[in-house]
Amino acid sequence: MNALKGWVAGQFTTRVIVLMPIAIAINIVLGYTVQTILKLPIYLDSIGTILVGVLAGPLAGALTGILSNLIWQYAPVIGGGTIGPFAITAGVIGLLAGIWGQLAVYRSRPASGTQLILAAIAAGVIAVVVVIPILNNPAYTDPNVGGYPSWVYTAAAVIAVVVAVVVAGFIYVRRDLAGLWVAVAGVLTGIVAAFVSAPISAIAFGGVTGGGTDLLVAALRQGGSDVIHASLGQGLFSDPIDKTITSFVVFIILSGLSPRLLARFPLGERLTGNRAA
Amino acid sequence: MTIRLAGATYRYAGARSNALDGVDLELAPGSVIGVVGANEAGKSTLCLVASGLAPVVVAGSLGGSVTIDGRKTITMRPHELAQRCGILLQNPEAQLSGTAVTVFEELAFGPRNLGLPLGSVVERVEASLETLAIAHLAARDPARLSGGQAQLVALAAILALRPAYLILDEPTSQLDPQGTRLVGDALRRLAAENRTGILVVEHKTNLLDRLTDSVVLIDEGRVVREGPAAEVLGDPALAALGVEPPPRARIRAAIAAAGLDGTGVTDALLLELAS
Amino acid sequence: MPPDDASVSSITDPGSGTAHVPAYVLRVPTGPYRSLNPLTRFVIAIASAAVAFGVRGWTGPLAVLALTAALALYAGVARSLRRFVLATIPIVVSILFINAFLYPGATDVLARIGPFAATGTGVTVALQATLRVVAFALSVALFSLTTATDDFLADLENRGAGRRLTFIIGSAIGTVPAMATRVTEIVEAQRARGLDTEGSVRRRIRGIVPLAGPMVFGALSEVEERTVALEARGFSAPARRTVMRVLPDDGAQRALRWLLGLGSLVAVAASITGRFPLP
Repeated sequence: MNALKGWVAGQFTTRVIVLMPIAIAINIVLGYTVQTILKLPIYLDSIGTILVGVLAGPLAGALTGILSNLIWQYAPVIGGGTIGPFAITAGVIGLLAGIWGQLAVYRSRPASGTQLILAAIAAGVIAVVVVIPILNNPAYTDPNVGGYPSWVYTAAAVIAVVVAVVVAGFIYVRRDLAGLWVAVAGVLTGIVAAFVSAPISAIAFGGVTGGGTDLLVAALRQGGSDVIHASLGQGLFSDPIDKTITSFVVFIILSGLSPRLLARFPLGERLTGNRAA
Repeated sequence: MTIRLAGATYRYAGARSNALDGVDLELAPGSVIGVVGANEAGKSTLCLVASGLAPVVVAGSLGGSVTIDGRKTITMRPHELAQRCGILLQNPEAQLSGTAVTVFEELAFGPRNLGLPLGSVVERVEASLETLAIAHLAARDPARLSGGQAQLVALAAILALRPAYLILDEPTSQLDPQGTRLVGDALRRLAAENRTGILVVEHKTNLLDRLTDSVVLIDEGRVVREGPAAEVLGDPALAALGVEPPPRARIRAAIAAAGLDGTGVTDALLLELAS
Repeated sequence: MPPDDASVSSITDPGSGTAHVPAYVLRVPTGPYRSLNPLTRFVIAIASAAVAFGVRGWTGPLAVLALTAALALYAGVARSLRRFVLATIPIVVSILFINAFLYPGATDVLARIGPFAATGTGVTVALQATLRVVAFALSVALFSLTTATDDFLADLENRGAGRRLTFIIGSAIGTVPAMATRVTEIVEAQRARGLDTEGSVRRRIRGIVPLAGPMVFGALSEVEERTVALEARGFSAPARRTVMRVLPDDGAQRALRWLLGLGSLVAVAASITGRFPLP
């Protein structure tokens, strides 16, 4: 029991208490800027959540996510919109980020030569492994079998290949194997987020978001998907991309911080393992 | 009952060299010690170490010993340190809690944290407002204050804790001469009447001249000069170390350089002229 | 943890001490609806949201819509509701179109517009979903227009929420405006360096790191100093924080909160399990 209390308390040091409001504000301001000013079809409102999760732990990350959504929904002046019900999703994202933090996913792993090429090849192989079942799925070839319309599978395959190329490029250019792990963490987080969000979206908002990706929802419904599956389809398109981009942004930011600064956070040590002081 | 640094050495976590290197210092109740030195000489580190917040809050390793009223700072919790030793850092805006709606509530933040009875909290807030003559700011929004006002509020917030010792890192940096004099007078009163031990880092050597009993010159983490204010601040070597001598010393130097007879020019007259 | 300093008492005494606290600090809220305890207003908001989303059919959302509009009129904030309602337009448009025309499995076609067929089921679902979203938006508006952040947080803390949670929420809300200004500055600076906010998607994506980077770095650089400043003011002291502001509460409101909380749960459960289907 004491170990559990210690684990909880250890994530909420005064430094973390100071970091969390800053992270929440980053979520809200950056999310608003990207969605409204840059007008990109991604959310990018989880940078702060993932940052806290990786630096402090799962509970701190989850709380950051949940509070970000509730504050963005209910606070005076800031409040409005429809983000509140997705506080659950934000909490899960923070929780996962804490797990990645414990597993030292975001630690730099400098490598050179053969290791890099091997990692880049690994990324390519994973992409191929993901793509083949998609293309071999009977629903892809035979329209009479249920599931998603065929173009969805083509799109999924294309996206997987593009992602693999980008990740491989990233690993090679920065000479850092962590790129692979960060990408995997981002994609997994995105997939989980999509599954958690779909029922919330379906129950509260009829499966739509009000954003440009609703065109995707429309197309899926046109193809015969029901509310939840269309919502899930939209989520599986937006969320893995969004969370992977977010994860890479967090990774780039963390790699730019000095080890001295990072070490002061509860999970900071796990980020600085291979770095010279 | 003093703050005593004996051979204090401090290195920030992950840093390659010591920020403080074998500092001996004693701050007694009612005494005022000034600290001067070039930038990055270790003055701010000295403040953090003397107050115990380094290494208790700021990660790093401490060599030698630092004790407050006989207890080693490394054995104390942050709130115990805060009750005994009030510290004011350089950037006033970062010192404010950011959650208080009025200056009154900002000043009440510290005493409330300690769980003091409400009557005591109110009394301390009002006293601090009085001491720094900012009662007219009591109902204002702390986020909308000018730099100088914010600095006075931050200082008042520390005074509200009624600590036995005050450690101040450039407490008048954003104040005009009138504000500076006000703070100087308030600090002098605190030292004289409340027996508060005060350690103050300042560039305004004129202020140090009037306020302090002794001045310490820090260079590369070491104390290189220590003595009465007039002596240390009159040292021509100050300029070489990046510290500007106080007007008093400069006027004397100018008189001497001009070949005039300076015997009739008393210290009191110079202090008057300089302020 | 035994008290370490005999002169520091952890007994708080709002009763007799409150008389000395200036009125501009006590800020007891007055006026219709605002004079309710903040927690009551929050429970009303949450219960409304639960019923609006959880009670399927027309009754739930319509009831919430009517109640919220009435309370807004009573509180005098009816005019300010506009902004919240307008903000729901993008999602409402999507809901109406996608559900009316593309509702899966519906066959009761009402009208055809080009290749799209509006179905009765679809239109019903579309209208209900729209009502739900608008009802929810209004319930949020009612809360955020009538409740000052500090009132809510002070009340929460008095109920035992802990200074750290209330600090996080209060500080976050306070930091957003400053950070928004900083972002605008960064966007302007980056635009001068060629950041394209109107160009292709690829270029806009490349603009993210130059935007997020300085913002996050700038914010993180303050963490250390703010941590030291908080500790210097006894933030981590174990004593129960002195109560200075008391938001009035009474038995009737307590009963109302319980009623609303339980009632909304029962209503949602009844609707989900189909026990008590309302139109």
